[in-house]
Amino acid sequence: MKPPQTIPVAPRLRDNRGMASIAVFLFAMVAVFILMANFKLNYAVSMSGDAFDTFNSQTVEKDGIAQIVKESILAIGETAPIVSSNPIQTEIQNRLASMTFPAGVSVALASADTLPANPFFPFATPVAAVQPAYFSSSPRGVAGMGSLFTSLAIQGAAADLGRYTYTFTRSSTLAPGENWTYTVNADLFSVPLTNIDVVAYGLPASGSIPSQAPSVPVGTFGSGVSTLVVTSNNPANDPTAYPDLYAPQAGTEVLPYQYRNEASFAWNAYEYIWNRTYQDGLLNTAESEPDPGNQASSGSDPTPPKGALYDFSLPAFDPANPGNYPCNPTIAGVTSSGNSLTIDCSQVQSQVIAIVDSEGIGSVTIDGSAGGGNPFILLIRNTAGGLGQTQVSFAGDNSRPAIFYLENSNVGFSGDPQVQGALFFDPTTVASGAVTWYGHFSFYGSASPLDTFPISVNDSPTVKDALAPLAPRVLLVSTTSTRQ
Amino acid sequence: MKPISSPGRRGGFSLIEGIGGLILFTITMAALTYGSASLFKFQSHPQVVYNGNTYSLAPSFGDFRQAVDLHTQFTQSVDQADSVLVFGGQRSHPTLDPNGPSSALSETFADTTLNASAESDPFQGYSSWDQRELNGIQLSSYLTSGADPADFTILTVQGLSHITSVTQQRRYTATLNLQDSVLYEVIYQAFDWSSGSPVPVVNTVTGTTPTAFYRIYYSANEDAWSQPPGATHFWYRTDTVWDRDQEGPTRVIFADPYVLAGQDPQASVSSVSRFVYFLPQMR
Repeated sequence: MKPPQTIPVAPRLRDNRGMASIAVFLFAMVAVFILMANFKLNYAVSMSGDAFDTFNSQTVEKDGIAQIVKESILAIGETAPIVSSNPIQTEIQNRLASMTFPAGVSVALASADTLPANPFFPFATPVAAVQPAYFSSSPRGVAGMGSLFTSLAIQGAAADLGRYTYTFTRSSTLAPGENWTYTVNADLFSVPLTNIDVVAYGLPASGSIPSQAPSVPVGTFGSGVSTLVVTSNNPANDPTAYPDLYAPQAGTEVLPYQYRNEASFAWNAYEYIWNRTYQDGLLNTAESEPDPGNQASSGSDPTPPKGALYDFSLPAFDPANPGNYPCNPTIAGVTSSGNSLTIDCSQVQSQVIAIVDSEGIGSVTIDGSAGGGNPFILLIRNTAGGLGQTQVSFAGDNSRPAIFYLENSNVGFSGDPQVQGALFFDPTTVASGAVTWYGHFSFYGSASPLDTFPISVNDSPTVKDALAPLAPRVLLVSTTSTRQ
Repeated sequence: MKPISSPGRRGGFSLIEGIGGLILFTITMAALTYGSASLFKFQSHPQVVYNGNTYSLAPSFGDFRQAVDLHTQFTQSVDQADSVLVFGGQRSHPTLDPNGPSSALSETFADTTLNASAESDPFQGYSSWDQRELNGIQLSSYLTSGADPADFTILTVQGLSHITSVTQQRRYTATLNLQDSVLYEVIYQAFDWSSGSPVPVVNTVTGTTPTAFYRIYYSANEDAWSQPPGATHFWYRTDTVWDRDQEGPTRVIFADPYVLAGQDPQASVSSVSRFVYFLPQMR
């Protein structure tokens, strides 16, 4: 038996097999590198895209936090019947807690400035108002605070309450490189409600908002008159609206948030001024006025009524029968005859005159002042409801700026007078007769008097400036955020 | 007979083969590494010249990087603006120009202020259309005729008058290298007003204006998008009685350098640009 032999391998075949192995190896390497190159390119594109998407999402995130700050400030300081007494930190924290952030992301309030007061007459002395400018160092320019904000702030003298800063820390457990600090600057301005020339207001809490803007006869708005009305977005309600962006959620209309300041002006401020808090504030101020027309104390009249509040349910002061209490005080510029009062604007001395008509029996004639004078407020408060309206008649031109709050009144103008001032109609007040008005005019948009009331409104910076110390003020807030 | 090959060497390499292979492997690795690096750094990418500017064939990673840089700056300009005006596109006014394409501003527009708006009532300018009317004397000579649906001009404005950036998108069609092509040009020019006067912001790479740009092209049959580049204006309302020409956000779609726009009819997902915005006119 032959021993097994090793089959000889030809040297060339062995070399070929080695070279083939190297070739396969190189081919594999090249293929791997091409795949890696392709992967790297796609990865780079993906990472660049993701980085941009992250940048965009954080822009949205910081703007959302700015919105939280704005709403928290308004919750405390808005000119509205109900405001929160919480500190700003609590309001911000409450809103932050209701937010949902991406997994691993948390945002916390790090520091917060204390909010300033928004004082206005009659509760406190308002901050001095000056005409804002877009680009100015003093007063501070309003450019950059948003065009819808500035369009309201720039209409007349306003008080700059300052800039307040709120910082937030953003941390991400999944991406520590995306830990940021968000800084929100809140710019607060206190704007007299009378700065907007014409407001057709809504009362979303105690009434309604106009479903569509009232019709306006030709000639109602003079040149340069600013107007404000906020209505339904539903084209079925308001034919001026388009379906483009109308998307009611669960049957509820959603006002685009960019118009938030307009809602403060045209809705919430009017809920406030027709609410008891403000009305009682004016009544109390009138009652405590040191009116120089009040009768003096005497032996027969030891405790005469004081102030500038006249109540139709009480008798007028009777000089022939002093000391017959209770009775109304005598008021400078106010004369009475039965249930009729005449107010001579040129003779008024008090800042606030209030007339209360709880039975709907009064009649008031307002004689204008041709000679100007200090501004004042005339409040006619009719709480009689359906019992009757107070008859109010304007006679003669008036160049003494005054704020007229007329509740449940039937207002008439004779002789097409020219009147300077602010005319506030409550939802039940009606009017007739022609008037040329310089200053502010507001009425309930859902009960417009314009169809029967030929008023011609004109913008008057002079009147706005004169009324600014006495007018209710609206807190306007602009927030901008930056990421560090 | 002595075997020629011992069992220990069967299937392996000699020492010289191993050393040679190692050297060859090292050289190959170095060449591939250098080559792949060069591929990204100096990749040869099809380009054409049109109107004196160079356009890269999409998808183009280089232009995508430029696009990300442009859109980052553009987003910041929008974020800091009081109002954003979009000229061009569809439905610039629901009744007066319902179909478009509306006129954009010429690429020669380089004004830094809106003259008429400076003294105008801000209540009168609630839309790009109103701004175009208010500033008609200034802008009329810049309004383009025969605009392409993809063309638009975006101005970011502070106050009523300070233009902080001008962004242009243009779409051209041309026959290049015997091929029908579609070219997209996006240019962003920022103005720095921090000194009180407008200073054009230069490109950090080129050191010249415009601040950022990218230019790409496709063959014409690939220029099909599920959402074509361009601007579409949306409106809340128009109310001439109460001066409420209220424009809502405008949907603006920029060309995307890293999207091959041409749609495969069999594809389940259509190509869309990732540079899509809803820009509110008013903040």
